[in-house]
Amino acid sequence: MLEQLIKKYLMTGAKVDPVKFDQPDLLVSDLGLDSLGLVEMLFEVEEHFGFQIADPMQFQNMRFQDMVAAIEAEVRAHNNGELPEIQMPDSSASPSQ
Amino acid sequence: MNQVFMTGIGMLSPLGKDRQASFAAALSAHSAIRRAPEALSAGLPNVLMAPAAVEPESLLDSQDAGLDRATQFSLVAAQEAMADAGIDETPSDADRFGVFVGIGFGGAHTLDAMFARYYTALFGGEHSRKRATVVHPLSVPRMMANASMAAVSMRYGLRGMGNTYSVACASSAIAAGEALRAIRHGYLDAALVIGTEAMLTPGSMVAWNALRVMARPNADDPAASCRPFDRDRSGFVLGEGAAALVLESRSRAERRGAVAHAELAGYGCTSDAHHLTAPSVDGQVAAMRQALDEARLAPDQIQYLNAHGTATDAGDVIETQSIVGVFGAASRQLAVSSTKAVHGHLIGAGGTLELALAVMAMESGSIPPTAHLEHPDPRCTLDYVPLQARHGCRIDAVMSNSFAFGGSNASLIARRMTG
Repeated sequence: MLEQLIKKYLMTGAKVDPVKFDQPDLLVSDLGLDSLGLVEMLFEVEEHFGFQIADPMQFQNMRFQDMVAAIEAEVRAHNNGELPEIQMPDSSASPSQ
Repeated sequence: MNQVFMTGIGMLSPLGKDRQASFAAALSAHSAIRRAPEALSAGLPNVLMAPAAVEPESLLDSQDAGLDRATQFSLVAAQEAMADAGIDETPSDADRFGVFVGIGFGGAHTLDAMFARYYTALFGGEHSRKRATVVHPLSVPRMMANASMAAVSMRYGLRGMGNTYSVACASSAIAAGEALRAIRHGYLDAALVIGTEAMLTPGSMVAWNALRVMARPNADDPAASCRPFDRDRSGFVLGEGAAALVLESRSRAERRGAVAHAELAGYGCTSDAHHLTAPSVDGQVAAMRQALDEARLAPDQIQYLNAHGTATDAGDVIETQSIVGVFGAASRQLAVSSTKAVHGHLIGAGGTLELALAVMAMESGSIPPTAHLEHPDPRCTLDYVPLQARHGCRIDAVMSNSFAFGGSNASLIARRMTG
């Protein structure tokens, strides 16, 4: 579900072409995000789990799947090893205010 | 020294979604002022407001949804002004085309929402406290005062010199005046000037309320609560929105065959160095005289003046004295009105909005009235065009005044296009 949350944001909020996610070796650098875009993507996760991800730049040279795994590990580390249930938003493109 | 023409006008104001709707409402004295909803009045009784006629988001792409409301207003007004000027893509001389913005409180909505969320979480239960510091990463670039300038320059690819002026109620009058100078003196060939303001938030309402300058609701009709130059005045009403102007050198406008609304002919700007909030005759007089000198006009050559006219006791009386001081005997033939009675006080956006309305009055020959002026203050002795618009007027030049807290005064003059 964490992967779905991130993908949904990338497709609707950051306008990433959904076809890209068919590539198993998709790189984070292939998503077309600049550093600000990457931080905006992480905010989707941060808002759900209520903490700030430590180092956004660590993901820049990862494969997409490895980034999802690394984020999941960080979420679990903040939640006693658990991955809390994710409520999917109606539209992740909506403003956060 | 280049002549400067105004070739585009756009606005989203409390009076209407565009310039025509806004000007029509100003002429018919159709007030946009109403009681603020409870969510906005922040626990205060009797709060009034003049909200924008339509939500800016409804006129923009979904990608602009997260921008601060003031930036959204800017983009909407810019869209109309650029279309009106007949400029639909990045101009080939974009290096000589700048963006000038006036705004009083940058990012008020973003800041208010962020602080509300942060403090609510911080002082909530343990679970909420842990989450408090998670704040949107674009909070800073959304709330910065120059967010509008950034968004508009990127939207149209305008790479010339551009700046953001934050001079309270004179912000966008000064932005327009400085753009005029930049083109006149050859630093630029064109500029998109925007005045914008969006601070109808609970946090700003309590601050404004504390200053004791806000109008009390009129018992019979809240829409008639702002009464400039009337003995029953009680202050102003905060409004929101934006107005945009395209300015071009005469040669650029003529080269591309643009139809101009007016020549922006004079600008005066002074500082009172006198009082934090109280106006001063000397500073206002000096600003109006500078504008007249630059336009090479005598006072009797101005037929309409859109007054700052905030409906505060000090403001109305001092401005009247200043106008009499500058115009002398000619003040008896001068039509003066304050359209704030119907669109409220748009603070940073007021200068461009009111200049645009004055230019539209000159073009149409119809002068918007001072609404609700039923019992003139005996100390206010000018012709304020009370209650009813005046039609069929020959207007060759107009003046628009904007006087700010902090003692900054700006006066602008526009002339009719000849030939």
